[in-house]
Amino acid sequence: MSDKKVKVPEAGQWPDNLVVPAVLAGAVLTTAGFLMAFLMVGPVNGAALSSPELVGDVMVTNQQLLSQKIFYFHMPVAIVSFVALVFAAYYGIRFLMGRQQRFDTCSRVAMEIALLFVVFTMVTGDLWTRFEWGVWWTWEPRLTTYLILMLIVIAYFVLRNAVDDPERRAVFSGVISIIALVDVPICFMITRLIPSSVHPVVAREGGMAPDMVAAVMIIMAGMMLVAFGLYRLRFRQARLDERVQALKDQLEDY
Amino acid sequence: MNPILADIYSTVIPSAPFIIAAYAIVWVALLVYVAIVVRGLKRTEAQMAVLEEAVRAKAGE
Repeated sequence: MSDKKVKVPEAGQWPDNLVVPAVLAGAVLTTAGFLMAFLMVGPVNGAALSSPELVGDVMVTNQQLLSQKIFYFHMPVAIVSFVALVFAAYYGIRFLMGRQQRFDTCSRVAMEIALLFVVFTMVTGDLWTRFEWGVWWTWEPRLTTYLILMLIVIAYFVLRNAVDDPERRAVFSGVISIIALVDVPICFMITRLIPSSVHPVVAREGGMAPDMVAAVMIIMAGMMLVAFGLYRLRFRQARLDERVQALKDQLEDY
Repeated sequence: MNPILADIYSTVIPSAPFIIAAYAIVWVALLVYVAIVVRGLKRTEAQMAVLEEAVRAKAGE
């Protein structure tokens, strides 16, 4: 049997050269998308007015739902959180297959980025819910499945802090990252299985005008680049931390 | 104010704080996260330099 060397991710490899351009491009794209969403994309219509009114040079026939503008950040950060969870589970599986600690580090960092974007999704979604419905929380199918996802991600870090043995900690973490991944398609598909007015299936039902789609895509691309930059930056720090620990151990051995 | 206009703006003005909060939280949290990671990176790099020096000194003894 050949002794095939597994190529492991390391800080300082070529993706690190893309960190600064990616974060800058991400900042520019999210800002451009934000400006587009507010300045170029019209607001969504609400309830019909008792009679039409001319505002500027536009005949307004419905209430204007400005709160819908939250969607332009809410959906992209939710998608980025899903992508980060896919990577966390991928590296978790790589660890479980080969027991290379480096993959556990990759999985942990990806999970950290996922947690950040999961929290963004929850906060932006809750602010919309609070304004539109007057409540901070409702047991709507996607909210519930996404809450479960957030709890799994939080549980991942609680468990990591609770287990001292690095090998066992990495194994448990790998398994939880897979469990979190299982919840991703459930979160994504739940509105297709149980239709909800809060989370309509806008892409499939053509609920978004082309300019809305463009703004969402630009912000999503920006958020992906920001997440990539953050991941590489945090991975570099995590690797340095590991090397510092190794040097400390080496000093103790002298 | 014209009641129709009041009806139009009834969903616009009150929602502004929620929209501003949603965007501000995301942007500020991202900036804070970057600042924390960069600060941690610099601290770890400084530790690394000191430890490498110490290991070299020990190895030379």
